[in-house]
Amino acid sequence: MLLEASSLTITRPGDSGPVAVVSDASLSLSEGTLNDIVGPSGSGKTTLLLALARLLPDVRGELRLQGKAASEWSPQEWRTRVALLPQTSSMVPGTVADNLLLPYTLKVRHHGGAPSEAPSAPTADELRAALDQVGLADIALDRPSARLSVGQASRVALLRVLLTAPAVLLLDEPDAALDDESAAQVADMTREFVSARGAVVRVRHLRSDAEADALFRLEGGRLTEVTSR
Amino acid sequence: MNVVTQAVTAGGVVDIGWVQLLLATGFIIITGAISLALGLGLVKDLSIATVRTYVQLLALGIVLRWAFGFNTWWLVLGLLTVMVLAAARIILKRSPDAPPGLFATSALSMAVTGFIVTFAVTAVVIRIHPWWDARYVLPIGGMVLGNSMTGIALALERVFADLDGRSGEILALTALGATPWEAARASVITAVRAGLIPTINSMAAVGIVFIPGMMTGQILAGADPLAATKYQIVVMLMVSAATAVGSIMAVMLSYRRRFTADGVFLEKGARV
Repeated sequence: MLLEASSLTITRPGDSGPVAVVSDASLSLSEGTLNDIVGPSGSGKTTLLLALARLLPDVRGELRLQGKAASEWSPQEWRTRVALLPQTSSMVPGTVADNLLLPYTLKVRHHGGAPSEAPSAPTADELRAALDQVGLADIALDRPSARLSVGQASRVALLRVLLTAPAVLLLDEPDAALDDESAAQVADMTREFVSARGAVVRVRHLRSDAEADALFRLEGGRLTEVTSR
Repeated sequence: MNVVTQAVTAGGVVDIGWVQLLLATGFIIITGAISLALGLGLVKDLSIATVRTYVQLLALGIVLRWAFGFNTWWLVLGLLTVMVLAAARIILKRSPDAPPGLFATSALSMAVTGFIVTFAVTAVVIRIHPWWDARYVLPIGGMVLGNSMTGIALALERVFADLDGRSGEILALTALGATPWEAARASVITAVRAGLIPTINSMAAVGIVFIPGMMTGQILAGADPLAATKYQIVVMLMVSAATAVGSIMAVMLSYRRRFTADGVFLEKGARV
């Protein structure tokens, strides 16, 4: 099993003390699967994704990645393997290339070895090919990131996450702000990641695609598996 | 001529009589009248500020006169410590969104940089004897701490406001595996620069736009302008260094409080 979450209970500060947003949630993700989580607004879907990426305090329960407990991974290493793409794709100031190469400038990429052993950053030609693949061939690498549209920024952010070669991809409403064409390109990238033996957890407002391997429903803080192939 | 001669104190300064001192309030009263006429709502603030100016500065004059007469090392250090604690409290009031523990951070940053710089000026540059002479240490310490306080307050207010403003970007960076330092670095740089802007601006304008307060005081007291200039250069450079190091230290010691031990950025709703 790639990622296992057992009995996750997530509390967040409320107006009158801590409130359990998600209670006793468990899910297991196998390699090469697309998993959808649906539920109404405010049901805790984003909170659950943040917890899976170890991006929340006050989470009880157990998380395991590739058979190893969460405590055996540093938080930073975990997050590069269980990669979250937030709903709002924040670009850092700089160019498109700066954003795509950002993961390679972070310390976690060099952790545990000499800089020469760190994964080498993609070349400009490789970055252009990646942009082409997601329908952004007309975007120059030196374009300021602030001048990207919402749809373009979403795809650049997804590329940026994929360049870190994660094992699990957590997508928070990946097509919420996209036109049909951009959404189709994001769906293609997602499928490609799954076919390369990655696991995807995709949060959606209410609908799910028939292509998902498993469908979970989160409502009232309870996670239930609706269908599974 | 005679009148002036009689009013000159032993230090060479033309003394101001109590009546003349009260007359200075006249300009504030005129400002208050303008505020009333235009409905600016400044009368209360101006009144409080004016009374505070009188009370605080007269109290300072009395304390300094007493301290200069008493002049012991422990009294000088004690007064500097009181100044540091008062400044830390003011910084805390100016940063309402700051996390807990800021008082200690501000006090430590100011104490370390303020004490080192003040005693470096008095003991090494001016070479006074004894090294803790209240007449030199307290005014110079006050200038160093006052400027540090402004710089640290600006830097701390900015670092937390900037981190909160970049929360989306910080989440994206953290999700990519960034450490708190990597995620916060841009905010730290912005904050330290903000803390140093008043100092750098005054260094750029000094001598051209204004004569600094210390130099003005020395010239009014009859000092040679060139001697006063040398003092001012030393003090200005030391004050700038103290402000810079104090701001950097305060920001570096405190930005991490917005993150958990696991490097998770604490958004507004998630803070204790």
